[in-house]
Amino acid sequence: MFDAYIGVLVLWPLVAGLLCLVLRSPGVRSTLVLATGAILAIGALGVASQVPFTANPGFLSSETALKVAEGAAFVFPAYFLLRGLMEKHLLVIVFACLQLVLAVVGMLNMPEPQAIASAVVCDGLSLALVLIVAIAGSLICIYALPYMKRHEEHLHLKTSRQPGFFLVLLAFLGFMNGMALSNDLRMFEAFFEATTLCSFLLIGHDNTPEARKSAFRALWMNALGGVMLHSGILLIEKQFGIVDIHAIINPALWTGVSMLPIALLAVAGCVKAAQMPFQGWLLGAMVAPTPVSALLHSSTMVKAGVFLCLRLSPVLQSTNTGRILALAGAFTFFATAALALGQSNAKKILAYSTVSNLGLIIVCAGIGTPIAVAAGVVLMLVHAATKGLLFLCVGDMEQTIGSRDLEDLRGMIAKSPVTALAACAGAIGMVLPPLGMLVGKWATLEAAQADPVIMVFIALGSALAVVCWVRFAGTLMSGKSIEGPHAHTSALTNMPLLTMLASAIGLGMAAPWINALLLPDADAASALAGGWGVMPPLFVVAMLAWIIGMKVLGRQSSVPLASPYMAGLPSAEPNSFVGALGKSWVLTEGNEYATELFGEAKLTKLAGVLAGAFLLALVGGAFI
Amino acid sequence: MNLTTFYLAVAGLILAPLLGGLAAGVDRVVTARLQSRMGPPLLQPFYDVGKLMSKVIAPASQWQGLFVRWALVASLASDVLLAAGGDVLMCFFIQAASACFVTLGAFSGSSPYSKLGAQRELFQMLSYEPVFLVCVLCMAKASGGFDAYSMMGASAQPLLFKMPLIIPGLVFVLLIKMRKSPFDLSACHHGHQELVRGVYTDYAGRDFALLEIAHWADVVVILWICSFLWATGPLQMLVVALIALFVVILIDNISARLTWRHMVKVAAPVALLLATVNLLWLYLE
Repeated sequence: MFDAYIGVLVLWPLVAGLLCLVLRSPGVRSTLVLATGAILAIGALGVASQVPFTANPGFLSSETALKVAEGAAFVFPAYFLLRGLMEKHLLVIVFACLQLVLAVVGMLNMPEPQAIASAVVCDGLSLALVLIVAIAGSLICIYALPYMKRHEEHLHLKTSRQPGFFLVLLAFLGFMNGMALSNDLRMFEAFFEATTLCSFLLIGHDNTPEARKSAFRALWMNALGGVMLHSGILLIEKQFGIVDIHAIINPALWTGVSMLPIALLAVAGCVKAAQMPFQGWLLGAMVAPTPVSALLHSSTMVKAGVFLCLRLSPVLQSTNTGRILALAGAFTFFATAALALGQSNAKKILAYSTVSNLGLIIVCAGIGTPIAVAAGVVLMLVHAATKGLLFLCVGDMEQTIGSRDLEDLRGMIAKSPVTALAACAGAIGMVLPPLGMLVGKWATLEAAQADPVIMVFIALGSALAVVCWVRFAGTLMSGKSIEGPHAHTSALTNMPLLTMLASAIGLGMAAPWINALLLPDADAASALAGGWGVMPPLFVVAMLAWIIGMKVLGRQSSVPLASPYMAGLPSAEPNSFVGALGKSWVLTEGNEYATELFGEAKLTKLAGVLAGAFLLALVGGAFI
Repeated sequence: MNLTTFYLAVAGLILAPLLGGLAAGVDRVVTARLQSRMGPPLLQPFYDVGKLMSKVIAPASQWQGLFVRWALVASLASDVLLAAGGDVLMCFFIQAASACFVTLGAFSGSSPYSKLGAQRELFQMLSYEPVFLVCVLCMAKASGGFDAYSMMGASAQPLLFKMPLIIPGLVFVLLIKMRKSPFDLSACHHGHQELVRGVYTDYAGRDFALLEIAHWADVVVILWICSFLWATGPLQMLVVALIALFVVILIDNISARLTWRHMVKVAAPVALLLATVNLLWLYLE
């Protein structure tokens, strides 16, 4: 039964994508995407009912499969090299060549590693990623159906490019599932590289100069990550002769041995997770259509990076490598939260906030204790739902008004209430208790007790994020409304949006129990009795507040509102008043972004250098 | 949760707003005396709130009633959590949520003064939150636990001697949270200023009365956490809280308002740096 579930999770999206490519009609495509959503959900739930387990499905363990994975180590870099040569992009060429060299070294110079016991090992962490991909990922693909239709209408394309787009989008989900489940390091690497390819194709989908530039930036950074990953893997093979991931993350293996391979793998994870100084590729990714950025940010790609780091956490626990990694994550959390605060571009706010939250998960991985890792997985789950929701909302609002600037989104609540309120709920979910992100942050803060510097970084980043998100929600709810007709609504837009909202809140409610499930038995009991025990009563209080608030909202919605107080005579014109000397003044509003403190120009360079130093220390420290 | 915790929680729910109201009364009496006035009676804040409760005024936005009640629930919840010996960090985050709801209500209002107040309130949160968090982390490190009971019953020796450098930070936090000069940037007790009443401008009538009660509850949380510094007994804690209150009133009366840029660029970094240094000391011990 396992093999069937795993087959569905990994192979079906690829099959559905190919069918989309062959049968080009929009109706078939919609049916296939909706079916994929349902099938992946069934597969994920099937896996969830059995976890933890091991399995040996033929398509991941047979000789042929390994040959394919080995071939992938050549094919992907070769393709990258080709595209780099066509575009004359030096960095892509260099890193793709390095990847090819490593692949050749791997084939010629390496003894055959020990056979692994089981090709698939599914534990809580793998399951979390599979659930994120299957549910959040599918919802985003469904949302992409109406979005891409409007997107192409807007671009006036002669032939639709949607079949190819949906092939990559769906295949991406399959590769992510494969990566989450495979226990063979070579297999893992093949899937890891496949996600790099998918993200490159998706970011460059619109084929504008800006899109191409961003796609190649993503490619060279992730190719660099690939080089790190592959060299780490080769070192492990050479040193221990094993490729079984669960054998490698046994701390006993690493006592008194250089941690260099682990550090290299961790840096590869950091690149994939767009940690500073590699945040550039994720920021560039927002030129792509919204479903792409939503997919990259919430459920795929970057989650692969934190997944890798969390996977390594048993080895990282109480080592210097782990400490430096946690410090680098904490610094990224703080610095990108500051960068987010200085932005008025709504998608950039989302992008920086993603990098920031991933930094927090990396902190959990670096600390490496079971309590910290459980907090990290909770953060990963809640972040996927909340950030997915926010991206879908911002994308929808952007299509409605044609701008993604926060100042233009002011008063959006009057124009498209469902989307704007969902976005406000998402923003509140990012920072306020008792919702999941805040709870995860709090758990991380308490798990980081041993290191005061990390705690101070988290305290700073947390305050920055609160300000950023309250301002975001406040601007959308601002009383001054945008004129114009109500926005279009579509069931295929609203359904993913509201499901995502429900799962963000539901996951927040379930967080104490999810956390307990992820902990070893001894810790689980004390976790629920201790700090986490306060969450269920808090949710009861929050629901009470919700009921009271809704009653008042109902009452106040039906009464006439007071005219704005402007310390002058309100004039007949809306939003203006008669001030001194009988002059009429028109009001304009705007947020203070404090760019003198949080502007990108200054901060990016400084923070990038510091973050780069941390990563260098990570590798260098392990090398010496 | 046993029965004692339950009683303590209920006591916190009822007593915290009352004590906060009394603190506001003390504030008005002491301020009047410092300015050689008679001032109102001690219970004047309660009379004010009672009168506001009876007024029905058209709201400036349909959302404000909702946010006011959420803010009130959050503020009271943070008091209850503290009284029941809960996690002080979580208590802090819930209290911060209350401030966020007040700000969101101000954003959804219609007056430009209210929105300007909201912007400034955000920068105030940015300034005091890290400082306060690091102060709480110092207390947690020195007392060996994040829950209120272990901080209150930490040792025979008051925590104050281990963390002298967090005092400026706590005063900074108190000034901002009590909306006192020089950091009464987003709203202050006097309507005759450049931003009228800032975040409070658009709230009126019963909504405003509830907001006032939420503010009292907030002040009690902060003063209570400050009193952990000398938690050798209930009386000592009360004295510490009263001293803190008096210091804040004194500073309010002898200083003028600073700009938000000064607060974010100078005051907050200095307070944060001192508190961080203290935290590092505790770890090196």
